Amino acid sequence: MATEQQEHLKIEQLRQHNADEIETIAGREKENLEGWIPTLASDAEVRDALEKAFDYRGDVTITRKDGSQVTGYLFDRRTGSSLTDSFVRVIPTNERVKVNVVYAEIAALAFTGRDNAAGKSFEAWVKKYWEKKVAGEKNIRIDPEKLD
Amino acid sequence: MAVPVSQAWTVASYVLTQKLKGRKRYPLVLMLEPLFRCNLACAGCGKIQYPAHILKQELTPEECFRAAEECGAPMVSIPGGEPLLHPQMPEIVAGLVARKKYVYMCTNALLLKEKLHLFKPSKYLSFSVHVDGQREHHDFSVCREGGYDIAMEGIRAAVAAGFRVTTNTTLFDGADPNSVRAHFDDLMAAGVESMMVSPGYTYDKAPDQNHFLGKAKSRRLFRAILSNRKKSWQFNTHPLFSEFLMGKQNFECTPWGMPTFSIFGWQKPCYLLQDGYADTFKELMEETAWENYGAKSGNPQCANCMVHSGHEASAVDYNFSSLKGFLVTARKYMFPSAYPDPDAQKLLNEWRPEHSGPLVQIQSNNAVNDELQEVSGD
Repeated sequence: MATEQQEHLKIEQLRQHNADEIETIAGREKENLEGWIPTLASDAEVRDALEKAFDYRGDVTITRKDGSQVTGYLFDRRTGSSLTDSFVRVIPTNERVKVNVVYAEIAALAFTGRDNAAGKSFEAWVKKYWEKKVAGEKNIRIDPEKLD
Repeated sequence: MAVPVSQAWTVASYVLTQKLKGRKRYPLVLMLEPLFRCNLACAGCGKIQYPAHILKQELTPEECFRAAEECGAPMVSIPGGEPLLHPQMPEIVAGLVARKKYVYMCTNALLLKEKLHLFKPSKYLSFSVHVDGQREHHDFSVCREGGYDIAMEGIRAAVAAGFRVTTNTTLFDGADPNSVRAHFDDLMAAGVESMMVSPGYTYDKAPDQNHFLGKAKSRRLFRAILSNRKKSWQFNTHPLFSEFLMGKQNFECTPWGMPTFSIFGWQKPCYLLQDGYADTFKELMEETAWENYGAKSGNPQCANCMVHSGHEASAVDYNFSSLKGFLVTARKYMFPSAYPDPDAQKLLNEWRPEHSGPLVQIQSNNAVNDELQEVSGD
């Protein structure tokens, strides 16, 4: 679930129109979070940053208050009433396990991985298609990225 | 009948059993995602955007079987990612078939022809090939020139080898109903058993966050496509879901009807929307705040959704919830309507392809020229 700020275009659209009358749904605004290191000074900042990390399409690095780190894909979060009963769940980059990290134990968060979907819209594909077509290329396509 | 009688009977008796047991929420189709890896990179897809270490992971056959047993649904749909990239997919499918699950293996069919010999035809197995429209539309949708031809070749090979083959077509803003109707003709001529069509939905993590149909446009588009339908067309969607798309029925979402299991666990709340994961099916059903989802909830993420995974189960539930619902549905199955509608025909005749959507740009000379000028001016 995205934060309200990330959803604001849809929310604005729904404030002004009945959902049944909408012709085309408002696009979602994706923030550029790659490389971001949020400040975690207040409980609200911690919660908001971890919500964005949950929504992020790349890996993050979490530094615990004991100095240990975990880098991986943050695939889940469970939010309780306080930071001590809220935790995120991460699949580290180097093993197939699910690591739980309690919000209250987190000293720092960094969006260290690449946003894998950024810039790959239909418009980008169409532009690339025509550039290649003009250059005389055949069998034009966007291939998935190499995994190794 | 667009599905074998044995399948219809299995599903009907399963749903009736759930009703007799007084279960308010029950799964109809398990959406099993054994991997997210794919050999396409579609802009509208929300499943292939993960980091490489996630894309390399896959469920084992044992994990798949455990999920199917835990869930208990009579049908298992295997999307992905591209299931044919999973090295143990034949073993997974065979294991599910042995458990008498009706399996829909969703594939883009790029590898179908070469991997067909690894599977055995069965009434329990259908290859559900994703084809998003006629050649130009499909190729643009999957961001690959030539993708349509390979998919159709796969369909023909699977039909010739005696497999059940169905298709799945997702429509985005810019879809041309006349072209979609011609696409249905092409698919039926290729020998597919039945077809499914549904509007696309904004996946949270997909690269493309635009080009999705609002409800008003969806209803107009589907009324144009599905009214005045040809006798040769066979659909494997519930007739009331088809009417829902055409604006003749109103259903709320049933997000628990098609639960999803992947390497992350059981996805809350549904196939399309990621709001966390449960470790067990029981936890998913009991601890998800279901009241927060569906158009009625006011959740902006659900406001626009009309897709089959959320609403087809609602149609099925409706026809087993009252005698009236049962009789209405039985009549629609026994005497399928062509939905004659002169206004829909007029809509179809007057429909002009839009040039704003990416899927139709290749077809328009003006759009092509504009695009070329823009590119050459870069």
